[in-house]
Amino acid sequence: MTPVIARRTRRQRELRTAYLLLSPTVLLLLTVLAYPLGWEVWTSFTSLSPLQEGATAFVGLENYRRQLGDPQFWWAATVTVAYAAITSVAKLALGLGFALLLARPFRGRVLVFLAIFLPWAYPAGVSVIGWYWTLNPPTHTAYAPFMGHVKSGVDSVFGGGAWAFVSVILFNIWRGSSFIAVLLLAGINAIPPELFECALLESRSAWRRFRLVTVPLLKPFLALGVFLSLTSAFADLANVWMLTAGRIVFPVIGTHAYWLAIKAGQYGPASALSLTLVPFLLGVLLLLFRLFDPPEPEVI
Amino acid sequence: MNPKPWRARLGHRTLILLATVYCLFPIYFMLVQSLKTPQEDVFGNPLIVMNPTLENFEELFERKGEVRGFVGDALRRSYPFLDWLANTLVVFAGSVAATLVASVAAAYALGRLRPPGFRWWRRAIFATYVIPQTILFIPLFQVVNGLGLDDNLLALLLIYPSMALPFCVWMLSAYFQHLPREIEEAALIEGASRATAFFRIILPMSRPVLVAAGIFTLGTVASDFMIASVFLLTPHNQTITAGLGTFDVALDELAAVAGVNLLAIPVVTISAVFARGYVRGLTAAMVEGA
Repeated sequence: MTPVIARRTRRQRELRTAYLLLSPTVLLLLTVLAYPLGWEVWTSFTSLSPLQEGATAFVGLENYRRQLGDPQFWWAATVTVAYAAITSVAKLALGLGFALLLARPFRGRVLVFLAIFLPWAYPAGVSVIGWYWTLNPPTHTAYAPFMGHVKSGVDSVFGGGAWAFVSVILFNIWRGSSFIAVLLLAGINAIPPELFECALLESRSAWRRFRLVTVPLLKPFLALGVFLSLTSAFADLANVWMLTAGRIVFPVIGTHAYWLAIKAGQYGPASALSLTLVPFLLGVLLLLFRLFDPPEPEVI
Repeated sequence: MNPKPWRARLGHRTLILLATVYCLFPIYFMLVQSLKTPQEDVFGNPLIVMNPTLENFEELFERKGEVRGFVGDALRRSYPFLDWLANTLVVFAGSVAATLVASVAAAYALGRLRPPGFRWWRRAIFATYVIPQTILFIPLFQVVNGLGLDDNLLALLLIYPSMALPFCVWMLSAYFQHLPREIEEAALIEGASRATAFFRIILPMSRPVLVAAGIFTLGTVASDFMIASVFLLTPHNQTITAGLGTFDVALDELAAVAGVNLLAIPVVTISAVFARGYVRGLTAAMVEGA
């Protein structure tokens, strides 16, 4: 056997191992996601409804067309964009601030780090319950009058149900800024200290050093943070929606789809609606991949 | 360098204090509520507890709920909290273990063995995060039913790893990819198999990244409310999350807050113990040749 052939068979064995090792992950993701996603895409082209008698009709793009003509859809889309933008900007700003605070050593830094880490580490599946009862408290509790004032104050300015929505925003920011702070702190730790020392000699302006040295080097972490904060914003909203059984008046795309599916029994339009987000998120992700998963030159 | 002016130092201190209060206040508030008696819950100061009591915690463990004076006999409820605790333990530990095993295997394949198009494999796996979750549980219910897993903890053990896997695979494979080739090659030349080289050399080196993946998975699994409450219906099959979701706002407030804390304390403790490893792991995964 010549060495070339030997190398080739070894590579083939390696590839077989590689696919074998990939299979649990791929199988799991396919089981959990492939059929549901396929179902959602298919349903979005039909009139499927649990309330409807008789056969399900194939309606083509009708569900999508109807969404575009529905003012409810545009309202939900606007709220979705606003929600995503507000929470993302706030989380990035707070997270970056926390990370920069923690970047330099000071007394008690470990404790402050733990305090900043806690909102994310605190199990959100149950803190959402605590959050809900704190912000919309049972009427007999001592803090109910105060929270009632806040609620009616916010609602009278922005309309009924505004406080419930604002409180979801606050909850998501509280939790998400913690995650991003820790992620960015990891990013800052990755920057060699010599670079900061060089920068200190180059420029006296802290703002310039931050903009020209820190931010560019943190880019991959910022990109990753933006994307994960988007997905967590939608996940938190879904949790709250589930917990309050739809007592949020401000519809975003996800919860409006849920409402259509569960309350109104319109699986078709609901599927179409929830899929409208996918192209946008995918586009954002493809852009961000260039920042946090760049095709680096092959190391020789 | 001369010492910083006192004003800058004071500003720094103030900011640190504000950040700490902002992060801890909601947690503190929930802890305080859970320590209150019903009387103090109604008449006391919301921010402090004068006569801390553990009765709310004890109540969770009593099979038969105490009769509460102002509620009356008819509404007493019992919570199978011990079952919930056991179920939660199984689901959390199982999900973390399954996610770690599957993601290490996949990440090794993508980062070390590098099949053609490995970067796109990784991106495709990561891109599953864009799939909207809100109404996915309707078809997911069909899948779970088809597998005969309805009202079964195994349903969560199937779904939870899929929520953490994409990030873990991405993080671990980026780390493995950046490790220099020589690390394994020395062992391979000595006659060790790839498997031996992996278990003896690569795996021990990756400890911080494994910790980061594990903590991320725990955090993700613990943040779910929706899946748990959709798929677990019978009380003794529920996790703490699903069970607390069924509590009644007006009657069970204090017991529920106690339950929140009971789940939070172990999760937070584990996360806090590994917090520094978590940061180190995230750093290592993103940095070339770490």
